[in-house]
Amino acid sequence: MSLLKPLIISIWFALLFLPFKGLKAALFFLIILLLTLLLFNSLFRYKNIFKDPLQKIFNLFEFNILTPLYESIYLRYVLFAALLVIPFFVKDYVLDVAILSCIYIILALGLNVVVGFAGLLNLGFVAFYAIGAYTYALLNTKLGIGFWSALPFSMLLTTIAGFLLAIPALRLRGDYLAIVTLGFGEIVRLILNNWDTLTKGPNGISGISTPVVFSFTFYKLTHFYYLLLFFVAITIFITKRVHKSRIGRAWIAIREDEIAASTIGINTTMYKLYAFAFGAFWAGLAGSIFAAKMQFVSPESFTFMESVLILCMVILGGSGSISGVIVGAFLLVLLPELLREVQLYRMLALGAGLVILMIFRPRGILGGKSASLRI
Amino acid sequence: MLKLANVHTFYGNIEALSGINLEVNQGEIVCLIGNNGAGKSTTLMTISGILRPVKGEILFEGESIKNIPPHKIVEKGISQVPEGRRIFPKLTVMENLEMGAFLGKGNFDEMLKRIFTLFPVLKERQNQTGGTLSGGEQQMLAISRALMSSPKLLLLDEPSLGLAPIIVNKIFTTIKEINHEGVTILLVEQNAMAALKLSHRGYVIENGRIAFEGESKFLINNEKVRKAYLGD
Repeated sequence: MSLLKPLIISIWFALLFLPFKGLKAALFFLIILLLTLLLFNSLFRYKNIFKDPLQKIFNLFEFNILTPLYESIYLRYVLFAALLVIPFFVKDYVLDVAILSCIYIILALGLNVVVGFAGLLNLGFVAFYAIGAYTYALLNTKLGIGFWSALPFSMLLTTIAGFLLAIPALRLRGDYLAIVTLGFGEIVRLILNNWDTLTKGPNGISGISTPVVFSFTFYKLTHFYYLLLFFVAITIFITKRVHKSRIGRAWIAIREDEIAASTIGINTTMYKLYAFAFGAFWAGLAGSIFAAKMQFVSPESFTFMESVLILCMVILGGSGSISGVIVGAFLLVLLPELLREVQLYRMLALGAGLVILMIFRPRGILGGKSASLRI
Repeated sequence: MLKLANVHTFYGNIEALSGINLEVNQGEIVCLIGNNGAGKSTTLMTISGILRPVKGEILFEGESIKNIPPHKIVEKGISQVPEGRRIFPKLTVMENLEMGAFLGKGNFDEMLKRIFTLFPVLKERQNQTGGTLSGGEQQMLAISRALMSSPKLLLLDEPSLGLAPIIVNKIFTTIKEINHEGVTILLVEQNAMAALKLSHRGYVIENGRIAFEGESKFLINNEKVRKAYLGD
């Protein structure tokens, strides 16, 4: 049994390599991978031997090794401090990737409300992202409204869009719901692409201004980095609170069993509506920031692949778990960047990596306890 | 307390209930027995608002509840234990009970205490997830979850389904206890004998109509009922 999994994985990877490098390389790769996996397996089995002495050392620092690392409060402080000082040490490129990760973290946390908390599959989430971005872009370029004044409007509009999508979608479940949301995503993209007089169609809207705080204009990457850090913190805080609230409970009940939820007095229609709208709300935020940062929006940024990517972040990280979703979003932005070196194999390796992850951790990297109310 | 008058319910074009007349008085245990597909569960679903009657009237404490959504009906004091238990398998026993108290009626701690005296086993298992419980324990949890919304009327849909006879006895004894505490009960059962022994009055449903009704001790002795449902 313990041999079967590594074997399947090695064969799977070897088959992926076959068309690129030929039979010999694939076979070689298969053997190398198999041996590595087996080595890891046996190391994993003996990890308990190391655990005791390690714990003794960590006890000196009142650090419990048995609580998972990501739950430790110390790690959070260290991580937060590290995030604050990062801009002083890294190149612009790294900062750019960090900013992109933050935007996706907000998006993934928003989709997590719909998919992870309420259990409703939404394949058109990018539509809300697009509506948020275009609302700010249009308000700014046509009416000259600044970022901070436009932000509430664009978030409100995406929330309303969330409601509007939810109304026809609420009668549907599972696969049918997925198809309707998919259609919604495409409709929004096509409107943006074809409404030339308003959105300038495929050319996109350029010359969007960046945020201004007390006559201080955001223009450097560092500024955007701190701005996003601030918004990510707010998103995490609020989604966490809402998840633990009565509304969050209702979502969990609906996700676990909709009929049972209605027999204990939960207004399932209403709470599903809330989930869609609340998820869309965050997409509106992310969209506005995206437009302000890029100073340019075009329909190309809001394709179906984006929706899939965000969904992957949620599922990969652990649907329903906030820390998991953050890790998932970060990894899916970071990995393609790291794999830029191997160009041709980039998407291949990424795809194969996802498959492996789903084999080993079907509930996501940090998933598993997500069903429970106490996270 | 609850009165159904000439209730007709459809599944698409198929008429599942063709004129049900039924009454439940305060403090009673009333059972509804009948074969598969006779319309027992449909009746319950119609009362709890998951299905809507096309014709007829449903009165609860003198008020019409015919067109009220399910969650409002729970608020009014009718709780349903759905068929097949439908507990939340991934949540712990405690979390299941907390979910049952979603409406926040009554004192949570008091209700919890009452439930743990009714079903001590749930107290032992409170941190276990619902899915790891045995069938009988899951049924107990489903009943407890429904009780957490402090209902005046409890609708039970086949609580004996798939359980060993000894567990069924235990559950039925507890149903009696719950009734003694002042909760009116409408019980739907295939296990006609057990249901008639437990209840004060009974209705026999056939093809969407009430075929017999009366006090349970008379129904048990009714020749036709005995032939059709009690295996004589």
